[in-house]
Amino acid sequence: MDYTLDPIAPVTAALAAGGTYCPRTLDALRIADDDLHRVLEGTRHLLLDGGMGTMLQAAGLAAGELPELLCLTDPEAITAIHAAYVAAGSEAVTTNTFGANARKLGDTATVEEVFDAAVRCARASGARYVAGDIGPLGALLRPMGTVTFDEAYELFAQQARAAARAGVDFFIIETMTDLAEIRAAVLACRENTDLPIFATMTFEEDGRTFLGTSPEVAAITLDALGADVVGINCSLGPAELRPFAARMLAVTEKPVMVQANAGLPRVEDGATVYDILPDAYAQAVRAMVDDGVGVIGGCCGTNPDYIRLLADIVADRTPTAHRVAPALTVTSAQRTVSLPTACRAIAVVGERINPTGKKRLQRALREGNLDYAVGQGIAQQEQGADVLDVNVGMPDIDEVDVLPRLCEQLSAATSLPLQIDSTDPRAIEAAVRRYAGKPIINSVNGKRESLDAVLPIAAHYGANIIGLTLDESGIPETAEARVRIAERIVSEAARYGIGPERILIDCLVMTASTNQAQALEILDAVTACKQRLGVKCALGVSNISFGLPARELLNATFLAAAFGAGLDAPIMNPGSERYMDAVRAFRVLNAEDEQSMAYIERFGAWTDPYKRDARPAPGQDGSTSVSPTDDDADAADPIRHLILTGRKGDMAAATTALLADHDPLDLINERFIPALDEVGILFDKGTYFLPQLMASAEAARVGFDTIRERMGSQRMARKGEICLATVKGDIHDIGKNIVKMLLENYGFTVYDLGRDVDPHTIVDTVRSRGVKLVGLSALMTTTVRAMEETIALLRVEAPDAQVIVGGAVLTPDYAAQIGADFYAKDAAAAARIAEEVFGS
Amino acid sequence: MSCAASNPQTDARASGAPAAVPAELASPVLYRPAPGEGPTIDRAEMLRYLGYAGQSIDDALAERIESTAAELEGTLAPRGVRRVFPIDAAARNENGMPCIRLAGSTVELNGSDIFRHLKDARLCVVLACTLGMESERRLRALAGQRPLDATLLDAAASAAIEATVRAMESEAMRDAAACGLSANWRFSPGYGDCPLSAQGPIVAALNAGRLIGLTVTDDDLLLPSKSVTAVFGLFDGEPHAANDRPSCSICRLHGACPFRERDTTCYSAL
Repeated sequence: MDYTLDPIAPVTAALAAGGTYCPRTLDALRIADDDLHRVLEGTRHLLLDGGMGTMLQAAGLAAGELPELLCLTDPEAITAIHAAYVAAGSEAVTTNTFGANARKLGDTATVEEVFDAAVRCARASGARYVAGDIGPLGALLRPMGTVTFDEAYELFAQQARAAARAGVDFFIIETMTDLAEIRAAVLACRENTDLPIFATMTFEEDGRTFLGTSPEVAAITLDALGADVVGINCSLGPAELRPFAARMLAVTEKPVMVQANAGLPRVEDGATVYDILPDAYAQAVRAMVDDGVGVIGGCCGTNPDYIRLLADIVADRTPTAHRVAPALTVTSAQRTVSLPTACRAIAVVGERINPTGKKRLQRALREGNLDYAVGQGIAQQEQGADVLDVNVGMPDIDEVDVLPRLCEQLSAATSLPLQIDSTDPRAIEAAVRRYAGKPIINSVNGKRESLDAVLPIAAHYGANIIGLTLDESGIPETAEARVRIAERIVSEAARYGIGPERILIDCLVMTASTNQAQALEILDAVTACKQRLGVKCALGVSNISFGLPARELLNATFLAAAFGAGLDAPIMNPGSERYMDAVRAFRVLNAEDEQSMAYIERFGAWTDPYKRDARPAPGQDGSTSVSPTDDDADAADPIRHLILTGRKGDMAAATTALLADHDPLDLINERFIPALDEVGILFDKGTYFLPQLMASAEAARVGFDTIRERMGSQRMARKGEICLATVKGDIHDIGKNIVKMLLENYGFTVYDLGRDVDPHTIVDTVRSRGVKLVGLSALMTTTVRAMEETIALLRVEAPDAQVIVGGAVLTPDYAAQIGADFYAKDAAAAARIAEEVFGS
Repeated sequence: MSCAASNPQTDARASGAPAAVPAELASPVLYRPAPGEGPTIDRAEMLRYLGYAGQSIDDALAERIESTAAELEGTLAPRGVRRVFPIDAAARNENGMPCIRLAGSTVELNGSDIFRHLKDARLCVVLACTLGMESERRLRALAGQRPLDATLLDAAASAAIEATVRAMESEAMRDAAACGLSANWRFSPGYGDCPLSAQGPIVAALNAGRLIGLTVTDDDLLLPSKSVTAVFGLFDGEPHAANDRPSCSICRLHGACPFRERDTTCYSAL
């Protein structure tokens, strides 16, 4: 299959070009010999080598120097190290290419030159197998860093092609701490070569990588993505890594590998020693092999003395089999949600990130404001969702562009695994490909077109899928007919290597008001699917109550009934206490809530709302009382008082009260704006400092939101549109976010492009939305250059747009020098400039 | 074969004959306080980052500031690594200008300020520390949602990394003092005319990517963003610090500094 047709969604493009997707199996790989084949099957051990960097530094490599260049400048020395490992018993040696990516090599040598030389050095040692080593890029990926997934993929793909051309037998991708980065590396090797892939991550004492990934998340996600061997290397000694390896063995049936350190280095009598000696090291590795670890070797601090002892451990021995109980597993980089096939655990899928019927989300998406959707994700996580459904399907939205970006931002702000929801296969692939985890795809259905488009994506990226029980003839009425469609989805999925444990069937809830007879048919279908097909079931519960009063009551009742029928993954609003109470109660009945601990903690002192004398707790009736005001002036103008004192808690109620007898626009122009102006002056004079300015802005914001809800956003005055960005290369956005907050309060529509923004992205937004004012922020002297370039590009491409600049290193002179129209020394100044520009 | 390990054992490839590192100072030292046992956040410093200049703060805001600091202190897991390198002050950079090289590493420190600072030192302590990815995640999550809380946490985190680097600095000085060496003040890339481009080689020389999870962007910024690298000189006997203490005189912002406008400085009084 040709994966080069469309970098955004290569599988979809290859299928469109007439390609046929073949799932990854050992038979489809180029495997050096039968013994290596047995290693990959898990029926033979493999002994790798030990530390390279350690040996090179002991030989005099300077700290920070690129060891890879020695393959070119001193190949004999590299070969000698490989040969020492071969003599000690290593069956495979790993090329000296840990940092041989174009980013790290710079202009010292090409990736191809280094891999050619490195493989020659390795082959010259007489090793049975040569493993092509791929280490981290040394730069952080988005969303926390600045490198995009696609940039990382390209760097790794270049290495993969160079290594394959130079003749490696398999890849070792290692010392990774970022799940997004190792996914990019695995995909690059998969899509550019047909060689086996060994993939390991590095964990700290707390059992997490620096970016928060656990051994389970790593093993599940890498296994799903097609790594042939998964495991752990570096950071700690073998005894400390043993429990982490055991955790991997419990969730993957792929061979597990471990390359531990020999502890920490210290200098003794002028020589570097490591605190774990070969005997103790080997003893700890033996315990891991007993546990089921199949592939072993060493990392920092190990040398041929260590490897020699490991050779004895695996001689004449076959790996201990490790079987894993089937389960549907969904992961984010930080969290695993597991629904074992053998028991009835529940995963709540939050449904709120879906613009259908949600005006405010629609508006936010249309304005390119993803923060609002991210806020919905954070709220659902706090409310108890286990997985977040993410859907941005609406007219005028380019899902292929927006869906992956929103998924990326959600993974920065929440830890929940995602369910990627679209009817456009290209958008699904664009998001799933770049998602740092093992997501659920929502959805495939029984139509031939859908099966042929979506199943290959799920297969390629190892995702789970929701299968809808509808086909070319629509949604069937009976349970039996629904199950037949589910059966077809399951058997089609099997052709792609997708087992029932990766499938959730959604039997499609119909409205009780129009299809009353079907309510129980749906539940029967759930029970039958689970019993006959071994799948899990999802349902969009709230459809049941359309057109009827007291919808939450009906939904909650149906939800409880569906749990009884076997529902595993309700797709619902976790913001409804009523639904979540049903979930919490059922988690007692299905024994998921062990000893009912969570239930007792929550409901032990509960006030049952059905008891007549029950009084709502403060805040539960949706309102809070306005605190008595301090003096007459405050009483006369509570808005001013609340804004000046920065008290958002009482603002909604105060605004609502005033809306009863005031025109909303008058309220804004006569109360809110003057109060904000007053705060601006107090800030300017130094009477207020930054947090006070912001607390005032927060309070005003609550009032504006209340007014907007009341009168609808259409009638809110639109004073002007402003595009904000922190310039390319700069990662600081606190200042920009403060400016955004103030501008929004003054009624401006802000297109916030975030941080590290390419000049062309800014120009595109300015042109497509007809923006007349651009605010640019830069905090470092080094990134002011990017600011200057952005302004220069704007002058050519969007000459009508004016530019405000701000940021710690700028001065009025400097701003003028780089061609800005305005310099804002702080956020209040930026708001004043905007007011002047738009003439209000 | 695997990742490069930090190894203090180096030959003296650099030109000249830099002093050897005493055995007691030769090993790289990790700084890893247990969660919650990290350094305390200086509230006054946090307020200074927020632009505080004596305004009256009501209870609600004071409580919000305090709880931000206290919560961060409770979860803080800073990590650092430091190592001593011999100084080669006889080196010249590619433009033929005098520069400081750290023997046995690829670090080259350019600019007249750092040159004055280290040229008479015998050894150089290089350190890097970070608050880590978890606090970075919290900062990023808040940034798009709750700007005020994000601003408060950002200031608390800045004060926390400053406290971390101070704690590491005093440990390093204690170790140096035990060898009869004294230290001058700490200097970071970006101060004065020392370019940020030193960040990459410093992080590589300390193996800080592997040991503490520190990365450098293409534009020489550290990520996680609440991270610091620093160097200071070690001297036999009393320090020969060319400039006595960090001051505004070498700062390129000193003409238009919001701190100075409020009669304060961005660094604490010493």
